[in-house]
Amino acid sequence: MKKTILAIFAILVLVMAGYTVLHFTKEPSTKVSTVTVYVSEDQVFSEPILKDFEKDTGIKFRAVYDTEEAKSTGAMNRLIAEKDNPQADVYWANEPIRAEVLKQKGISESYFSPNARDIPARFKDPDGYWTGFSARARVLVVNNHVKDVPQSILAYTDPRWKGKSVITNPLFGTTTSHIAALFVLWGDKRAKAFMNAMKQNRTAISTNNGESADFVTAGQYDFSLVDSDDAVNRIRQGKSVKMVYPDQGENDTGCFIVPNATVLIKGGRHPKAARKLIDYLLSRETERKLAFADCAQIPLHPGVEIPSELKPIDKIKTMQINYADVAKKMVEIQPFLKTWMGL
Amino acid sequence: MAKRAFLTLIVVLLLFLGILPVLSMLVKSLVVQGNFSLASYGSVLTSGRQWTLMWHSAALSSMVTLLTLVIGTPLGILLAESDMPFRRFFTILFVIPLLLPPYFMAVSWFDLLGRQGLLAQIAGPVATRITSDLLFGLPGCVLVLFSVFLPIPMLLTMVFLGTINPRLQEAGRLVSDWKGILKSITVPLILPGIMLSAMLVFILAFGEFSVPNFLRYDVFPVESFTQFSAFYDFKAATAAAVPLVVVTLLLMFAESVFLRENTYQIRPSQEAVHSPRIELGSHLKWLLSLVTALAFIIVIVPVLVLAVQSAHTEAYIQALDYAGKSLLRSLAYAFIAATLLVSLGFFTGYLVQKKALWCWRFVDSSLLFLFALPSTVIGIGLISLWNTRWTNFVYATPAIIIIGYLAKYTALTSRISVTGLAQVPPSMEEAAQVAGAGWFRRIFYILIPLAGPTLLAGWLVGYIFSLRDTGITMLVYPPGHETLPVRIFTLMANGSPQLVAALCILMIAAILVPGGLLAALATRMKYKVNS
Repeated sequence: MKKTILAIFAILVLVMAGYTVLHFTKEPSTKVSTVTVYVSEDQVFSEPILKDFEKDTGIKFRAVYDTEEAKSTGAMNRLIAEKDNPQADVYWANEPIRAEVLKQKGISESYFSPNARDIPARFKDPDGYWTGFSARARVLVVNNHVKDVPQSILAYTDPRWKGKSVITNPLFGTTTSHIAALFVLWGDKRAKAFMNAMKQNRTAISTNNGESADFVTAGQYDFSLVDSDDAVNRIRQGKSVKMVYPDQGENDTGCFIVPNATVLIKGGRHPKAARKLIDYLLSRETERKLAFADCAQIPLHPGVEIPSELKPIDKIKTMQINYADVAKKMVEIQPFLKTWMGL
Repeated sequence: MAKRAFLTLIVVLLLFLGILPVLSMLVKSLVVQGNFSLASYGSVLTSGRQWTLMWHSAALSSMVTLLTLVIGTPLGILLAESDMPFRRFFTILFVIPLLLPPYFMAVSWFDLLGRQGLLAQIAGPVATRITSDLLFGLPGCVLVLFSVFLPIPMLLTMVFLGTINPRLQEAGRLVSDWKGILKSITVPLILPGIMLSAMLVFILAFGEFSVPNFLRYDVFPVESFTQFSAFYDFKAATAAAVPLVVVTLLLMFAESVFLRENTYQIRPSQEAVHSPRIELGSHLKWLLSLVTALAFIIVIVPVLVLAVQSAHTEAYIQALDYAGKSLLRSLAYAFIAATLLVSLGFFTGYLVQKKALWCWRFVDSSLLFLFALPSTVIGIGLISLWNTRWTNFVYATPAIIIIGYLAKYTALTSRISVTGLAQVPPSMEEAAQVAGAGWFRRIFYILIPLAGPTLLAGWLVGYIFSLRDTGITMLVYPPGHETLPVRIFTLMANGSPQLVAALCILMIAAILVPGGLLAALATRMKYKVNS
């Protein structure tokens, strides 16, 4: 009996070892064109697009995906750590701020894709280091039991919602970018006052946007500022929440838009395939697919078909902001945010 | 000569795999613009807030350690030594939470106790408001981490009980009942196992970030995480991890002081193996009820939540479609890593236990140091060291994942080997040496068979920790080679809850099957050792 179990065990180990050895030998000898992409967009949304790319072009992709639990910074940390010997060819950022950081650190390279001509200039880096596509809007997700629906992010400081609102940790992700954008737009004094008032209004802090949306869905809080994909996702799941594009009045600041961004990595091993992937991601068809997927992202090309839950980008009053300024401001305000968080 | 040369090779290997990458990070954290500087360490523990976080971490890990010891040790004794029915079933049941990354368990508890969780549908909103408030904070963190780490003292107690000479307990029976035997013979003899489990649980709870972060209880590891994730400042992140290591080294020092004088005996007879030495008699009913209730609350309920969520055939079909390859990869990497871990751990354990080289204490401390370091520090260290054009054959393949596991988890298999080897009387190896057996023959024909059951336990621990790892894997896995836990984590962001739950259930199964095989092998080996 013992010999049998040992034999089974030995065979299993050998099979597993063989499986791993296959990986060792397979990688370098492959003749099929490949592209390595690091992805911060959620895997459930990005992987189908990459698979379509593989099917349409015959170029195989190998991906590293981020996790929300790690605040979508695993890929960024890897890109920075791998700077001297890059493994990635393309970075699919889920917001332009990370792309700006890569530009500043000399990790990315300029590329003007022919497919990006129609995309409005404010969603592209003028030097070509990143190009925006398929955007999320920063919206309020509001529980349906709330009668007086908040229409502005200023609701966070309104005593009516004292202890009834939640916001994602502003040290991470799109919330950091949004806060930094407010600092750029309002100036430090007003933005700091807003943040402090929000704290005094007993706004709860969650770890990520998905969790914020879940809290509101669960009725734990009345509303939260989240990405539009988090809100649409819950609405499509039949949860009792609605989505509000905030600050749409004539004199209001507008809604903060967070496009995805493609980044060409400097020194990547497959530059040709990398450019093809970037062109593919920036195509109208990809934007259409991402609009109809559960992430419900807003196309930046004009005239792309969209589902009924979404507004076209030209019908949303968007915050007029320069993303490079936001990226710089984000670094500047980190000590303030850290203190604000009590760290 | 062969012994010294081989063990030196093992030390060099350890240096190369684990110490060098981390050392490069530590050195970088001390250099600013080419000059030595402590600037990165400037903010560590200098503000009141840092001390509060440190206090939170200490409180959380102390409570978790105390609870797991107080409940896990008697539970291990009951399941190993008593005549309670369904002992094997309970053992498997209690191990389940350890098989998943703790974050999954926290999410499962949230699905149950959150304001719109399953409990809300049964008990109403008032009850769930209370449970939800309790879940978010220290009590919730203690509950989740207690359920995850309870198997550690339980299993180590069982493993150590299996190595006690039953004649000692039989002799005790002549003068005392089983309570007296427990107090005066059994517990003192398994004390090294209890201490080891206390240290492991404390380190694991102290370094745990995902559960406190999810349940809103600020702990010290948040500092290192923030430096990585918000600032991309690797130097400050490394500096912020150092206090975690200092606490670990202090623990190790306390352990060495505590256990300096312990001696061990192996069991010589086979027939004693099967006879339960604790007859519960009138205590059986209430103890069985208590164990059942505990299993129900901390294991069955959260797993049931996952099972209920995944109760659709399509979820499993989709799970296999999405993550079938990741599952195979996970099993492959964990098998290979566990085998290497137990091999490396055995020889480092031998080195430490026999004090075979002058640097034995350095080896022991280094392994624990690596175990206590946040995975992100090790991961970035591995990237810095291995990501070059000349070492791409390692970095761009799954070998880098295995190296990461070896760096992080050899401490576990090494420590288990130390305790296993301590139970083999030196006279046995000496007798073989006198008879002319060389060092390798002594290792393979005397020590490995005698420490066999403990080594198998080490293999299983290495397998579990490799399979459930996300921290290191996430940072170093080659593109396209993600493991199942990484796949689950990446799908958790906006993925369907049914799919995620089905993947968790698949992961539990993936660990339990080889675990069962190993348990059968361990039982057989015990016979061999004892006969």
